[in-house]
Amino acid sequence: MKTTVAMRPGFAGRALAATLLAGATLFGGAAHAADDVSGEITVWSWNVAAAALQAVVPAFNKEYPNVKVTVQDLGNQPVYDRGLAGCAAGGTDMPDVYSVENGEAEVFWNRFPECFSDLKTMSADEGALLAKFPAFKLTELTVGDKVYALPWDSGPAVVFYRRDLYEAAGVDPATIVTWDDFIEAGKKVIAKAGGNTKFVSTNGDTSWFRMLANQAGCAYFDEKGESITIGQPGCVQALETIKKINDAGLFMSGNWDETLTAIKANALASAVYGGWYEGSIRGNAPDQSGKWGVFKLPAFEKGGNQTANIGGSALAIPASSKNPKAALAFVNFANGRPDSQITQLKASGLVPTLPEAVNDPFVKEEQPYWGGQRIWEVVLGTLPDIKPSRGTQYFAEADSLVSAAYTNFLKGQGGSAQAVLDDAANQIASATGLPIAGK
Amino acid sequence: MAATISPSVTTSRPARAGRGKPIDRQWSVPYRFLLPYLIVFAIFWLWPLIDSFLLSFQNTRVNPWTVDVAVNWRRLWVDQAFHAALRNTLIVLVLQVPIMLALATAIALALDSPKLAARPLFRFAFFAPIVVSDVAYSVVFRLLFNGQYGAVNQALTAIGLPALDWLHDPTWMMATIIIAVTWRWTGYNAIIILAGLQTIPKDLYEAAAIDGAGAWRRFRHITLPLLKPVIVFALVLSVIGTMQLFTEPWLITDAQSSGVSIEMLGTYLFKQGFRNLNFGYASAIAYTIAAMAAAMAAFNLLLARRSPT
Repeated sequence: MKTTVAMRPGFAGRALAATLLAGATLFGGAAHAADDVSGEITVWSWNVAAAALQAVVPAFNKEYPNVKVTVQDLGNQPVYDRGLAGCAAGGTDMPDVYSVENGEAEVFWNRFPECFSDLKTMSADEGALLAKFPAFKLTELTVGDKVYALPWDSGPAVVFYRRDLYEAAGVDPATIVTWDDFIEAGKKVIAKAGGNTKFVSTNGDTSWFRMLANQAGCAYFDEKGESITIGQPGCVQALETIKKINDAGLFMSGNWDETLTAIKANALASAVYGGWYEGSIRGNAPDQSGKWGVFKLPAFEKGGNQTANIGGSALAIPASSKNPKAALAFVNFANGRPDSQITQLKASGLVPTLPEAVNDPFVKEEQPYWGGQRIWEVVLGTLPDIKPSRGTQYFAEADSLVSAAYTNFLKGQGGSAQAVLDDAANQIASATGLPIAGK
Repeated sequence: MAATISPSVTTSRPARAGRGKPIDRQWSVPYRFLLPYLIVFAIFWLWPLIDSFLLSFQNTRVNPWTVDVAVNWRRLWVDQAFHAALRNTLIVLVLQVPIMLALATAIALALDSPKLAARPLFRFAFFAPIVVSDVAYSVVFRLLFNGQYGAVNQALTAIGLPALDWLHDPTWMMATIIIAVTWRWTGYNAIIILAGLQTIPKDLYEAAAIDGAGAWRRFRHITLPLLKPVIVFALVLSVIGTMQLFTEPWLITDAQSSGVSIEMLGTYLFKQGFRNLNFGYASAIAYTIAAMAAAMAAFNLLLARRSPT
C-alpha cells in the first residue's frame, strides 16, 4: 500500500517526500535526490538470492519511486553462462545488475575488463562505501584500483539438521564434535529412519570438497592466485574425510531441486552448506517448522577449526546498462545498507558482509522455524575464523578437473587421496600454466 | 524468396538468354539465383569456419589474445579430460549406433509389410519422437529415470529387480543417454530406411520366391544388399550426430551443472568455450571433432562403395 502511495504523490507531496527521503538516506551515504533517478532496471540472479533482492524492492521503491526493478531468477549456472556469453558478444543482452559468485568472478574482469563498470568511477561516494567491507570480500572483485562489484553475502557453512530424526535415533548434536562423530551419528540416524532416508546430499560437484578443504585451510590455488595448492595436506585431509562419509553410505545423490524434494519428503536428515541454504529449507518445507536446527561444522580433530565458507556473491553493473544510475542506486541500496542486508537475511538467509549488519539485533533473535534456536548467532559467529580462499580466473577450469578426480576417488579409483590430488594438480598445471606450489 | 530473386532476373533476363544471347553469359545464371544464399553462407558459415580455425592458433586466455601456434593443439594431446570425453563419445558411437540402425531396419521392414493395419498411424508414431522439442523430452526422461521416484525404477523394483542410479552413476548415466538417443532417433532412421525399401522392385522378391528362397534368404540376399546405400547414409548421419551429441548429456544426465557428469565431446567443447572462456582451445576441439566425423564418414562411404552389391 505504502508503495502505491509513494509512487503517485501530488506535486507538493512529492517534493516533501523527496526532501524527507533525502534526509533519511544521508546516513546510508546515498544523498542523491532520489527523484532524479528513474527508469527501468533488470536484475539477473538465482533462486534464494533472487528472492532476497526481490524482498528489498518495496523499500527501495519507497526511496526511489521512479525506478522499476525487475528481478529475474535464471538459476545459478545460467546466470554465469549467459553473463559470459553476453560479455563475449561485446556486452549485448546483459541486465543492468548482474549477480556473480565471488569465486567465479575473476574470469569476468580478467577476460573482459570493459564488460562491467568500475564502481568507483560511477559515484564519488562509492569508495567510502566499499571501504566498509572486509578485505576478503573485495580481493576477488578488485583489479588494480578498479572495483567491479559491490560485496553482497558470504557463505559460512554449518550443519542444518532435523531435530526429530536425530532425536528418534538418540543422537544429541552437541556430542558431534568431529567428522568421525558425524559419521557415527549419520549411521544411527539413517538406520533408525529407514526407507529412502539419507543423512546428507551431494550432486557430485565439488562443494563438499571446497568446504572441507577451506575448513582445513587449503584451496585449489594460493591466496594470490599464483600457484596450485590442491596437493597440500589440508586438501588431502578433506578428501579422505568425504570418502569416509561416502563409504558409510550417508550420501544421497541429487541436484539442487532433487535435494529440496528429498527434504520435503522427509528423506534427508541433514544438510551441510553455506548459511544461505537456510532460506531454501525454510521456503521449501514450511510444514517442517520447528523440526530443524543448526550446529557448527564438526572439526577434523577435537578442538580444530569448525568454520568454512562456501559461496558468497557480489553485484556488478554491466557497462552496457542503459540505466547505470538507477542500477547503482539499487546495488548500493541492497548491499550497502544494514537494514537491506537484514531484509535479505530474513527473506532468504543471505548472510550479510556489511559489518554494521552483522551486529543488528535481529541476529540475536530466536527463530521459530528453527525450533526457537538463535541460528544466526551460530552462523555469523563463525565469520571471524573463516580462512580466505581465492577462486582466480581459472576457477571453472580447475573445478571441472577436480570434479572428475573427486568422482573417481569416491568410486575407489586412482589410488590414495594424495595421489588423486597430485594428479589433479598436474592437470590443473597443464591446463592453466600455473606452477604447483612447492615444486 | 521471389522478391529477393526478381531484381537479378529482370535486369539480366536470364530466362530469355537462349534467344540470340551469347551462350557464355548463361554460366552465371545459377550463381545469381544462388547469390542470396551464398552471401548468407559466407557471412554465417564460411567466415566463422575460417575465424575459428585461426582462433585455434591463438592463446585466448590472455587479454588481448596472442598468436601461439601450439598452445591449444599441444594441449589436446595431454588433456585427460578431453581424452575422457572422446572415450565416452566413442563408447556411445560403438554401442548406440549399431543398435539403433538394427532396430530402425527391423521397424522399417514391419512398417513396409502389407500385413500391417493402420500403417500411416504407425509410421507417424515411430517418427513422432523427432517432432518433440529436445528440451521437453529431456525433462521427461530426467523424471522417468529419477533414482528415487522415477517410473523406470518403480517398474524395475516391481518385478523384483534392483533400482539403478540412472542419473548419477557413470555406467548407468551412459545407459540412460544411449536409451534416450535411441528412443529419439530410431524412428527417424526407420523412415529413411523405409523410403529405401520402397525403391526395391517387388518382382525381385517374386522371382526369388518362385526360385524357392525363404523369407530370411530374401532379406539376406535381396533386401539387405539393395538397402546398403540407404543404411550407409543413415550410418553417416548417425555418426556425425553422435560426434556432436550435446542435449542428452547436457540436460538428462545434467552435464550442465558441475556435478558428476559424463562429458561428451560436445559438452566439453561448450564448457571450454563458454564456461572457461577459452575460445582458442574450444576451436581446436571443434576442428578435431569435425575432422574425426569427416574421416569416419569417408571410411563408411568407402566401405559401401568397395564391397559388391
